[in-house]
Amino acid sequence: MFRKLALVLVVLAMLIPAMNVVANDNELTVYHWWTAGGEKEAIDAVFDLYHTVYPGIALVENPTSGGGGGIMRAQIKTMIMAGNAPDTFQLTYGSGMLASFVDALEPIDDIWGNIPVPAKIKEMGTIDGHQYGIPLNIMRNNCLWYNKKLVDKIGIEMPLRSLEDFFAACEKAKAAGYAPYAIGAGAGQEFWYAHIFEQFLLAVPNGGPAYLEKLYSGEADPANDPAIREVLEAWKYLKESGYVNTDYGALTWDQAGDLLISDRAVFCQMGDWMKGHLTCAGWKPGVDFGYQPSPGTDGMFTLHLDCFVLPKGAPHPTAARKWLSLLGTKEAETAFCPIKGATPPRLDAFTDMYDEVSQDILAAFRNPNTIIVESAWAAPPEAWLGAYGSMLSGFFEHPNVDQGVKDFAETYSIVFE
Amino acid sequence: MYPSCHPVLLTSKNLRKQYKVCIEDVERNGKLQNRKRTIQIIAFLTPALVLVVTFVYVFLGWSGWLSLTDWKGLGGSAEFVGFKNYIKMFTNDRIFIKSLKNTLVLSGIFIGVTVPLGLLNAILLDLGLKARRLFRMIYLIPLSFSFVVSATMWLWMYAPESGAINSLLRIIGLGSLTQPWITSSSQSLLSLAIIYIWQFSGFATLVYYAGIASVPQQLLEAALVDGASTFRKYVSVVIPLQRPATITTVVLLLMYSLRVFDLVWLTTGGGPGYSSQILATYMWRVTFNRNQFAYGSAIGILMFFLSMAIIIPFLAIVRRRGEA
Repeated sequence: MFRKLALVLVVLAMLIPAMNVVANDNELTVYHWWTAGGEKEAIDAVFDLYHTVYPGIALVENPTSGGGGGIMRAQIKTMIMAGNAPDTFQLTYGSGMLASFVDALEPIDDIWGNIPVPAKIKEMGTIDGHQYGIPLNIMRNNCLWYNKKLVDKIGIEMPLRSLEDFFAACEKAKAAGYAPYAIGAGAGQEFWYAHIFEQFLLAVPNGGPAYLEKLYSGEADPANDPAIREVLEAWKYLKESGYVNTDYGALTWDQAGDLLISDRAVFCQMGDWMKGHLTCAGWKPGVDFGYQPSPGTDGMFTLHLDCFVLPKGAPHPTAARKWLSLLGTKEAETAFCPIKGATPPRLDAFTDMYDEVSQDILAAFRNPNTIIVESAWAAPPEAWLGAYGSMLSGFFEHPNVDQGVKDFAETYSIVFE
Repeated sequence: MYPSCHPVLLTSKNLRKQYKVCIEDVERNGKLQNRKRTIQIIAFLTPALVLVVTFVYVFLGWSGWLSLTDWKGLGGSAEFVGFKNYIKMFTNDRIFIKSLKNTLVLSGIFIGVTVPLGLLNAILLDLGLKARRLFRMIYLIPLSFSFVVSATMWLWMYAPESGAINSLLRIIGLGSLTQPWITSSSQSLLSLAIIYIWQFSGFATLVYYAGIASVPQQLLEAALVDGASTFRKYVSVVIPLQRPATITTVVLLLMYSLRVFDLVWLTTGGGPGYSSQILATYMWRVTFNRNQFAYGSAIGILMFFLSMAIIIPFLAIVRRRGEA
């Protein structure tokens, strides 16, 4: 009797590791924050591709919306700290964001291999000589969107090359009775102030890509650097001249886009995801709306990317590595990017399925003379957007430049504490 | 269970002997029953007790320990730093001080308005108005909304250009009274307080309505015999007897207002600037945005002690007076 029982236990003990191997090959848990229209369909297309290539692996997705991924990142941190890491999760691809998570990630240099991307893109994801994320799509941040009918009607000559051109255009729009510049940074979306600040910082005389890089790496001295004061002064002028919609503090970014769609506002500075919002409303590029690089940022391409990573302690690392290998292919980028309205990072990715705006963005990205700049979403520590969202929202309401410089410097010390 | 054991029925010696046996049997069975019952109670309580101890007290203790370290989460080591985080809060973090002030001001406005409003509503209902049931339902509807729904709804209503409140003011010719509401740093806290009051005044009404209904009828009749007016009846008899209802309402509302997160997070996010930043939203930012898990834990522990500072005197009063 006891012999039989012992035999059964020994057999079971031998089977347990084998069962684990089977489990490792059969399941993949993915966390991401793509839940809105367009982006959900886009990631579903990649899931379909994964199912096709690896039909034996069950894919369990956990979409978590909110806060530009902030809610999901908080959830992931608690899961990792509890020793319950998922197999893979979405993360903003950039030096600051990856560095915030690097202690919890496995290097994936072997999977990265030789993905053909511009050197700057590879450098953005390299922490201490290792790669940690496979980028899936690019988002261009320095875009100015405009209502083409209103621009033509008012008689504004596009494109606008500098902040001076932009302010002159705003003056014309205001005189014609329209809100010149639509901002939507309400409902807990104050981080857009940090996004807009970046556009201005690239355009002011003492700003530019080199200063932005210095600022985001914690090596700047904002209390004394003239570029910070120049941006705050430009914002003060923008606000006090009445160029901004009065309800900027109550709207979300897409509601700011709606002000263009309803012919109430002329310009809106937002990343290339605004294109999807405008086209969903039935607007056609070149007919109803136009796009150009943010004034004063010609030749620059500020961006951040989305990537997926391999956390330490992932329960199904084999399936996760297969997922990451797939994401690095042209096919995955082609399945995802056109639906989401994003741009593929691979230089050899297919291009013929993109519309004219995306083609233009793609051409700028692939132009070897373009200066690629990591945006506020990617380069600084994770705390940047939240901390500067709060600080700059206070400044924008009551623009006091001297106090603004002090507050900016104080926030800088908090972010890089 | 043993009806034949009743002593009146036991007359003969033999029967008395039987009775003795019977009593011993009852006692033995009673002990057995009691033991069984005790085991059952323990069995039923244990799972809940284990869960509460694990997920409340153990994690509370863990947070308390974390707050005395410099732990930054994800892979970082935790060095013991004593009360450094608590000292930093009060000496070197103006955003924390602002958040603490905002939390207390918000709670003050919220309680200061909601409690009297609840009492007034309850008295109006008690006066026997027509359509009393309808009013009771109207007062209670906001309480049934989830805070996410309330936040979204009020966000729409507060919008300076297209919101319902300013639009209504313009329609009725009071355009000069339109306000920036939550988009203004001077009004954001007050605007949030209005949402709280709207959502919870029905709760206060309900507690007071039950309190008024429990006033002894003979006291009200005595007041009537003494010729007290309706106003005098409420001021001299009904309201003084609402002390238990007031304590319950104030404590429960304070507990909520000290730990509220969702309403603020979804409407203002703590802004503009830090004008509506409260302890709960600041704790979230510090912990998950800045990855300062130890400092975030310290803020959480402080919030816990703030709540305790309210609940312990309340429990003491209830215990002393035997009121609930």
